[in-house]
Amino acid sequence: MINKSFFVLKLITLSCALSLSSYAGDAAIGEKKFKEKNCVTCHGPKGMGLASYPRIGGKEISYLTKRLETYRAGKKVGSNSDLMIMNAKKLSDEDIADLTAYLSEQNFD
Amino acid sequence: MRNKIKWLSKSLIVGLSALSVSAFADDTPKIKVEQVHKDLKNPWDMAFLDNDTMFFTEKCDGLSVATKDGVNKLYGMKGSKGYPSAGEDLFCEGQAGMLGLAIDPNFKKNRMIYVASTSNKHHGDGCKDNKDVCNGNIVMKFKVSEDFKSVSERNDIITDIQYKPFESDHPFGGPGAHNGARLRFDKQGALWVTGGDRHKGDCPQSPTLICGKVLRVDTDGNAWKGNKPPKGFDKRIYTYGHRSVQGIAFHPKKNQVFTAEHGPWHNDEITLLQNGKNGGWDPAPNVGGRGDCPDDYCGYMPNQKEGMDPAVRGAFTPMSDTRFKDLMYPTWNNMGLSQGTGSAAFLTGKQWGKWENRLVVGVMGIAFGDTPAGARIDVIDLTDDGKAIRGVITMPMGFSERFRGLTMGPDGALYAAVDEGKIYKITAE
Repeated sequence: MINKSFFVLKLITLSCALSLSSYAGDAAIGEKKFKEKNCVTCHGPKGMGLASYPRIGGKEISYLTKRLETYRAGKKVGSNSDLMIMNAKKLSDEDIADLTAYLSEQNFD
Repeated sequence: MRNKIKWLSKSLIVGLSALSVSAFADDTPKIKVEQVHKDLKNPWDMAFLDNDTMFFTEKCDGLSVATKDGVNKLYGMKGSKGYPSAGEDLFCEGQAGMLGLAIDPNFKKNRMIYVASTSNKHHGDGCKDNKDVCNGNIVMKFKVSEDFKSVSERNDIITDIQYKPFESDHPFGGPGAHNGARLRFDKQGALWVTGGDRHKGDCPQSPTLICGKVLRVDTDGNAWKGNKPPKGFDKRIYTYGHRSVQGIAFHPKKNQVFTAEHGPWHNDEITLLQNGKNGGWDPAPNVGGRGDCPDDYCGYMPNQKEGMDPAVRGAFTPMSDTRFKDLMYPTWNNMGLSQGTGSAAFLTGKQWGKWENRLVVGVMGIAFGDTPAGARIDVIDLTDDGKAIRGVITMPMGFSERFRGLTMGPDGALYAAVDEGKIYKITAE
């Protein structure tokens, strides 16, 4: 009986972990966060890219996630990395999922 | 008695009404904002010949002119498309590219215009690393054709403005940093060229390096007679000790010139320039009580990778360091914050009501640390001597964008270029 309970608990823990890592992100919430977290100030509306800040709208989720996770870990990728490291440090997994879901949907054609 | 009370209350009501009318019937203009151009690539500066002819630059594309018949591309940069001619030496990188623009006061006779850009044509033996002398920002002069469809006779009249060629260990550390590069003619016909420190610690206080300076020159790029830089300084220098001056404007009624300067996470500054004086920016290491700094540039120190109280940062590397005896104290410092002042102009004409002759400054908006982004156009009421302000308000645009370029049109409207790729016409009613 104890063994069975332990197995069920393990299953629940595993499914929770799985659901967190596979959280798809909500583009509508991502749009809100894009503005609230001031990403829009540099990267512009929909992440169009402004001045010396690159276009990030329309990029694939995998690319954006990898970049944000790298910055969050304090690692540099190209010039002006320190700015992104400073901002990405504050992002949760959920933030990254929401932001990347929103940005990946943008189209500038 | 009753009649007396009646008379008194009537008088009081009439008196109060008159008071309230005089208190509210001021002549603050109502403004109308209209988008006149869109889908541009980082429009940076504009210059008007007349109501129907506006030249403009796009940072990574080139020079164009908008006429009543449409937009004509005139002179492109390396890799740009659709221009009748291009400079293969002109490039954009980071904050650098094709930036400031001015029309010769004698355009009707000589058809000349002036354009600032980044170029690799005059590097010579320099630009091997960030500490090297790197002549990479230039001012060019062109002749515009009669049909406004092309330019010719390019002449590089200033070829030794410094450029940052490589990345450095700083928060905004990419190449191409801090170029200034706003061009404006004054009423006497002198061309003013604003500059930036290009992340080189010894630039702003150097007597000979053309970086962190405001130049006053003639139409051939020679020093303007009457410049009074300190002994041993390049004669083209009007003021020195600047960080990144993207705005310059001349008071319409007085002999006063003001700059708008972008601060380093503290103190954007408006400064009344004084001939030969010092803006007080000195990001060099091992001076002013500081030790070594990353890549010999203390402009973001201390604690350059984290947000911190702007006042503490400002005390470490001040925008206007009071240890300089020839310091020009700033007229205004944006309440100690840096939100990115971009351009400046004076509102001229009666249509602006109580705003007539006030200074407008475009703020691009930067939100690092706990500083609010603050993209806006400020309307600044300067004191008569230009050394302080009476007040500042935000122009009620109804939206926030990165206001990069401001210029008055001959029609009495203010024109604003934004990094978002648009140009707005702002009319007072």
